[in-house]
Amino acid sequence: MALLAPIIMDNGTGFSKIGFAGNSDPSFVFPTAIATRESASASTRAAQPSGRGPPIPSKSSHLASKRGIEDLDFHIGDEAMANSKTYGIHYPIRHGMIDNWDHMERYWEQSIFKYLRAEPEDHYFLLTEPPLNPPENRENTAEIFFESFNIQGLYIAVQAVLALAASWSSNKVVDRTLTGTVVDSGDGVTHVIPCAEGYVIGSAIKHIPIAGRDITSFVQTLLRERGETTVIPPEDQLKIAQKVKEDYSYVCQDIVREFRKYDVDPLNYFKRMEGEHSVTGRKYTIDVGYERFLAPEIFFNPEIASSDFLTPLPEVVDNVIQQSPIDVRRGLYKNIVLSGGSTMFEHFGQRLKRDLKQIVDRRIEASEVSSGALMRSTGVEVNVISHKRQRYAVWFGGSLLASLPDFYQHCHTKADYEEVGPSICRRYAIFGSVN
Amino acid sequence: MILLESHSVIILNTLTEKFAKAGSIDVQFVDYDGVRFHLSTPQRKTLLLLSMSIRCWEELVQYGAMDVIKREYGSYFKPDAEPEYNVSLEFDLEAIPEDAEAREAIIKSASLLKRNVLGAPFELAFSTQKSLEASASPADGSTPAQGALMQIHYRDEEAIYIQASQDRVTVVFSTVFKDETDRIFGKVFLQEFVDARRQPSIQNAPQVLYSNKEPPLEIRSVPGLKNSDDVGYVTFVLFPRHFSNPDKAYATISRIQEFRDYLHYHIKCSKAYMHSRMRHRVTEFLKVLNRAKTEAPSGERKTVTGRSFSTR
Repeated sequence: MALLAPIIMDNGTGFSKIGFAGNSDPSFVFPTAIATRESASASTRAAQPSGRGPPIPSKSSHLASKRGIEDLDFHIGDEAMANSKTYGIHYPIRHGMIDNWDHMERYWEQSIFKYLRAEPEDHYFLLTEPPLNPPENRENTAEIFFESFNIQGLYIAVQAVLALAASWSSNKVVDRTLTGTVVDSGDGVTHVIPCAEGYVIGSAIKHIPIAGRDITSFVQTLLRERGETTVIPPEDQLKIAQKVKEDYSYVCQDIVREFRKYDVDPLNYFKRMEGEHSVTGRKYTIDVGYERFLAPEIFFNPEIASSDFLTPLPEVVDNVIQQSPIDVRRGLYKNIVLSGGSTMFEHFGQRLKRDLKQIVDRRIEASEVSSGALMRSTGVEVNVISHKRQRYAVWFGGSLLASLPDFYQHCHTKADYEEVGPSICRRYAIFGSVN
Repeated sequence: MILLESHSVIILNTLTEKFAKAGSIDVQFVDYDGVRFHLSTPQRKTLLLLSMSIRCWEELVQYGAMDVIKREYGSYFKPDAEPEYNVSLEFDLEAIPEDAEAREAIIKSASLLKRNVLGAPFELAFSTQKSLEASASPADGSTPAQGALMQIHYRDEEAIYIQASQDRVTVVFSTVFKDETDRIFGKVFLQEFVDARRQPSIQNAPQVLYSNKEPPLEIRSVPGLKNSDDVGYVTFVLFPRHFSNPDKAYATISRIQEFRDYLHYHIKCSKAYMHSRMRHRVTEFLKVLNRAKTEAPSGERKTVTGRSFSTR
């Protein structure tokens, strides 16, 4: 019997991406949310007898038939959202790290049995973790997977490394290296993570508080300022802003010129978008204008949207690389990989590359001048790689790595786990790269 | 979620999406018991091919799986299956009915592919029982006629045995637990099954017998039964009232073939429940422990002149 495909689970703060190795897209993408009977506010109250744990049936009787089955009364993912009126919604993952293990265990249980319909005993698993995840979390995860689910083998990979692996699918990549800088922008936050040969350089990681959600609200403000929102019903405004962002936006190379183009020839550049009232079904149309190129511009000129974070993305990337060890900096500049839904804008990669190149060239020039023009630099290669699988890059990278034949040798198997204990999962070997 | 559903969510979602809007696709996924699926568009975007590989295919064909497939899927069934797979269905998006309800029915039945194929031997057993019942029982007191014992080796070491008799259908599951803890959980669980039946509300449920190590009498004649501690046998006795009408029979088949997955799912659920109790208890204990902590001794004490006390 052929070995069944390993299962790839990428549980993020907002959404979980779950599927089987070898596929190009995850089979399920749904919110990392679990709806239980206890109310969301009660779980944080310390005075409650059950603490912050899951519902526990009363111990009044020994008879199983009289005991409740409250612990089975929960929903996950989209169903959790649909039941939010009668259940309390919990998000077991906070800032990328697992916060509530009781909920997470149930979440995994149902995603495996109900959605994937897989017997965990027959499968290998590849899970992901954020950079700087404490090893205790990894041990806890391993404990749940090996002891509750009796899985065959486990590999926990760092998300940034998987994003690098996903870039191998691009035809621009010639050598399969795990050195590079990952720009990962999701819904809540954007990370810039440098990786050297598969290991994250933890001290140089930077976070930017600008991501998908901020772009959406910026689009909403722009529409409101232009007076377009008068036709949009208030409850649909967020949805419309999201649609404008996803379907019409692109990154321009020069704002001033772009503004002029729009003013000279508005018919060509302004787009009309049709909407439908979600309740009454009434049709309406709105004009989509400057927000097409202004929306993603907040990565490059954050001052147009917020006043508390003012460093443009290319500068952050440059700072991150400058803080990394000097011997890997060339590699980091050469291989900047995009990942996550908010990097999907057209020409995003080109703009990032151009701006970064300017910063780097200026620095080289300055150092040449200060050295008295005695030394000539050979220049630094700057490369930003965008590819087709950017949206679910982390998951795709996992799918790619887990379908390699080496994968099984690098997993920790159940036998290893039983021999050594959870601490075995503190170490993972990097594999898959050619050098 | 107490019961598991019998349809595959991935097939349901993907087909719904592709029926609405054609697009090329190539995905592989699994179902319980080592069933592998492959959904692809090998020739053109509008021609969807769904293939399934199931390990006990030969046995199932012997027990009438082909008839079930032809009945359920009719023209969608592709006679020559994709290589490496046992059965293939083909959906031509240009030829399927436009009607939304009809489409939904097709999607639903496609997502039940595994259930239908695995349901074939059960259907056969039910009909055998009916014909045996119709033929009058021997008056001379000799043993009544019995249907053939059907064996379905649906997993590596586990099998389902089905036998139709004159007044009942017996279904025996052999289960193997890989893990010691699972074995104990399973045992408790199965004993609960027997106990729970005493409740008045579920008196009509099928009789459940559980034996560890010892195979039940019905299948003792089968060669090659493993006789070790980690094997258990669960016997369900289905009476005609459990499959008296088509709807009931359908529900019975759906439930009973998921028995193993149900059992394993609930073993895992019980573990999760125990773990949360354990975590809860540990935090309680930690609270007690923190209360019992003695105050940390403050640093070295000194006199006004700066000398310290020391014991000699």
